[in-house]
Amino acid sequence: MDEDMIFDPSLKKKKKKKTGFDMDAALAGEQGESTSVEAPAETGDVDLPEDDNLDLDNFGKKKKKKKKPFFNLEELENALPETPPAEEPEPQEDEVIDDLDLDIDFSKTKKKKKKKNVDEIVPDDDGRGEDQENVEDVHGDWIGSDRDYTYDELLERVFDIMREKNPSMVSGKKQKFVMRPPQVVRIGTKKTSFANFTEICKTLHRQPKHLLDFLLAELGTSGSVDGNSQLIIKGRFQQKQIENVLRRYIKEYVTCHTCRSPDTILQKDTRLFFLQCETCGSRCSVASIKSGFQAVTGKRAAIRAKTA
Amino acid sequence: MSIQNLNTFDPFADAIKSSEDDVQDGLVHVRIQQRNGRKTLTTVQGLSSEYDLKKIVRACKKEFACNGTVVEHPEYGEVLQLQGDQRENICQWLTKSGLVKPEQLKVHGF
Repeated sequence: MDEDMIFDPSLKKKKKKKTGFDMDAALAGEQGESTSVEAPAETGDVDLPEDDNLDLDNFGKKKKKKKKPFFNLEELENALPETPPAEEPEPQEDEVIDDLDLDIDFSKTKKKKKKKNVDEIVPDDDGRGEDQENVEDVHGDWIGSDRDYTYDELLERVFDIMREKNPSMVSGKKQKFVMRPPQVVRIGTKKTSFANFTEICKTLHRQPKHLLDFLLAELGTSGSVDGNSQLIIKGRFQQKQIENVLRRYIKEYVTCHTCRSPDTILQKDTRLFFLQCETCGSRCSVASIKSGFQAVTGKRAAIRAKTA
Repeated sequence: MSIQNLNTFDPFADAIKSSEDDVQDGLVHVRIQQRNGRKTLTTVQGLSSEYDLKKIVRACKKEFACNGTVVEHPEYGEVLQLQGDQRENICQWLTKSGLVKPEQLKVHGF
């Protein structure tokens, strides 16, 4: 993916994540002991909900990669049969909260995993193996039995129902939220121009004033929109830095906090801003923009002369 | 001998206290400000007034090898100022020393 061409809000985050979860290190550690693998994999999963992952397809692929250590883990389980399945559901739980759109990829990987489980665990441990097999054939044997359902079964059932009711989710909304990068040019030595400011406001469906307020509050400077509808900010800023701030803006004020869809409307209601999602219909308040404390950086004598 | 039930206990003591010492729901804002040239300034706003900010700034100055002060602001209370971009340093230091929980920290700026 070309960063110069397409500014993808979730791009940078991803890079970070890769460094966070080091596959080689994890695999190396795994040979030593099984529990050490669990830790990095989990931290990776916990990170996810924060991420505004608008790039759904790539994200799914990453998931699969991440799963790999678990497969190896299960092979290890044959050697030490006591530890495993209590840990298994944890990452799944996180994913359920994580994102509904993900479930397509997720369920596929899960099924694969199940099969492995059955193959490998059955010879070891009979009771558990049976349980897993019941999960495999679908809700057929729910009727008539009054046994307790395992977490995995219930999960599977929920996803099955979801896929039944919403076939559009299975076919996959592949719409990625891609926007043009901000064009940031230096003017002289002290000012920076954000050339396509209004264009970006339009793609985000936000009032220029709102974005302007946010940018200036975050950067801790002053600025204004000039005649050519470009934003002039005081101070030196690079495109990368502006992108960072924009990303934060999108995460807070554009993407829906529930379903992460960028199709939202920002309304002002009794002094509070509310984010109304057009896709899932959720409505939640967002933090007001406050510039907070501003230290005096100019010449104090000049300020004193001006006020006195 | 005192009767336990008659002990005066104010159930709202916590609520009143926390709303007093923090302007906005207990968040600690770490900001960066550009000065002339490549110079920058880091401000830390919202630290609880129970702490002695002068001692904190003294420790930070030593740790990060930078200068710093405590500034009194009518609205935001006492604010820490450090020279240079100390955002990462101060975040690590505050969490490590246990003064602030990581989820309370809010880093602003680019």
